Amino acid sequence: MTTAYSLTNIEYSYGGPPAIEIGALEVAQGEIVALVGPNGSGKTTLLHVLAFLEIPQIGEIRFFGEEFRKGNLLTLRRKVGLLLQNPYLFHETVLANVAWGLRLRGVSGQKAQNMASQALELVGLSGFGDRYARSLSGGESQRVALARALVLDPAVLLLDEPSNHMDRESAERTEALVEKLNKEQGKTVIMATHAVDSAQSLAHRVIHLRQGRVFRAAPDNLFRGVLKEQGAIFSTGKIEVRLEAPAVEGDFICIDPSSIDILLKGPQLEVMNVFRGTVVGLSAENGRIRVEVDAGERFRVTISSDWDPASQLSLGSEVFLVPKPDGISLC
Amino acid sequence: MPHDGANLSFLITSLHSAFTLIFGFDDSVYFIVWTSLKVSACATVLAAVLGVPLGILIALNTFRGKSIVLVMLNTLMALPTVVVGLLFYALLSRRGPLGDLGLLYTPLGISVGLFVLAIPTVVNLTLAAVQSADPRLVLTCKLLGATPVQQLWKLVLESRFAVTAAVVVAFGRVISEVGIAMMLGGNIRGFTRTMTTAIALETSKGEFELGLALGIFLLSVALAINAVLFLLQRSRA
Repeated sequence: MTTAYSLTNIEYSYGGPPAIEIGALEVAQGEIVALVGPNGSGKTTLLHVLAFLEIPQIGEIRFFGEEFRKGNLLTLRRKVGLLLQNPYLFHETVLANVAWGLRLRGVSGQKAQNMASQALELVGLSGFGDRYARSLSGGESQRVALARALVLDPAVLLLDEPSNHMDRESAERTEALVEKLNKEQGKTVIMATHAVDSAQSLAHRVIHLRQGRVFRAAPDNLFRGVLKEQGAIFSTGKIEVRLEAPAVEGDFICIDPSSIDILLKGPQLEVMNVFRGTVVGLSAENGRIRVEVDAGERFRVTISSDWDPASQLSLGSEVFLVPKPDGISLC
Repeated sequence: MPHDGANLSFLITSLHSAFTLIFGFDDSVYFIVWTSLKVSACATVLAAVLGVPLGILIALNTFRGKSIVLVMLNTLMALPTVVVGLLFYALLSRRGPLGDLGLLYTPLGISVGLFVLAIPTVVNLTLAAVQSADPRLVLTCKLLGATPVQQLWKLVLESRFAVTAAVVVAFGRVISEVGIAMMLGGNIRGFTRTMTTAIALETSKGEFELGLALGIFLLSVALAINAVLFLLQRSRA
């Protein structure tokens, strides 16, 4: 199978510590890859590196076998389409926006207009060509930007949080289009997203990023949510986690699986957080026991196998989870 | 000491004579207006052609000494016109290093001085316009595969209102200045006499009619410039 991207020992920084640090990453042609991770995890930076907009200070990138150098930057950049999270539309008509990339490539006026009209039809915006681009809604703007990327027939399509500024209908339409392009044209798609569920349903592979590094699997007990009560509580919508100190920002909470105590009865002393749940999974792993507990959110807890009450745990047991405050972190 | 009635009557008579010169399409008046417009437009166009790309390049690039360049440009925006006149007089006079060009006391000589006056304004205001432009604009140009020249052109198009305003402001500055036109043009009748030098001369001679007529033209130009700026701001909003 042809490899679309091959990244080796890539490091990119904006002047401070590396924003991304990737040992090895390969993306096959025709693959849909979802980049998942909290804000600041390096998803956008990685997409910009893959779009050849940012040049890594260290490392090697191969694009369909061709090594990326400054000399072939424009050639490679023109083979990739990137949809920005909050795209910029030029102060002109929708059609002129979509046709601009074609004009840069020397496509003649009428032909460029016809191609742009077809691209607009593809994203469900036929009839929008004469409208002033800056007057469109967020979702429509996103779709115009998608048409502007697609009309150039890129070998790889990069999408940065495509559904962020879209209404539900636009987001579903975009997902369906991405799937269609992938199936019918074998288009390679790499998309950054917060929506882990949709990523898993659409993508062939999910790559988890955290602090600029790739994780093969999602860190355990990583839950998305919002801060409440002046940052004292983090709510995922299903559970509420009381924080040791009020926080200012954080979209995700991470609870270390080894810092969670499992109790068979409710705690006798007052604790900061306790979650009542049911054991839904039990497995042994490197001399430790891995317990999965449904307590609103699905928790993974690792306990020592010589922990006495471990023998009393079975699927369906009711347990109480008590995370230690220093095992809770926001990101 | 003349009383107020005499003052008012003198002003009304002068204004009447001024309008007679304007609407009588007096050749000497219109030649002066034409000379002013010609030298100012020539200087502004040249300043725009060089200053707009220069402003964009300075705005987009990071280089050693950039802050010094920015301070210099800000200082040059307030450059006294007589200083430019004096400097170019020294350069263009027969004894000066550029004396052989024979530009002193010619319309082209005035344009050269006015160009030097206009270019810091064009560069600085273009630079400010580009720096305040949406950072996604350049990113979008790049990701759509634009070459550096194509990016530059798109930036000009997208910042067209602010860039036009920069050029219009520069034109307003050069057409209303008097020091350069006087020192480099010599105020030669029928050749290098501009609106501002003529106003200065006619007023010193006590010939207020011609001075007022030219003053009205100058005010009309200022009004037109402000109208253009107003329309630009409105269309941008």
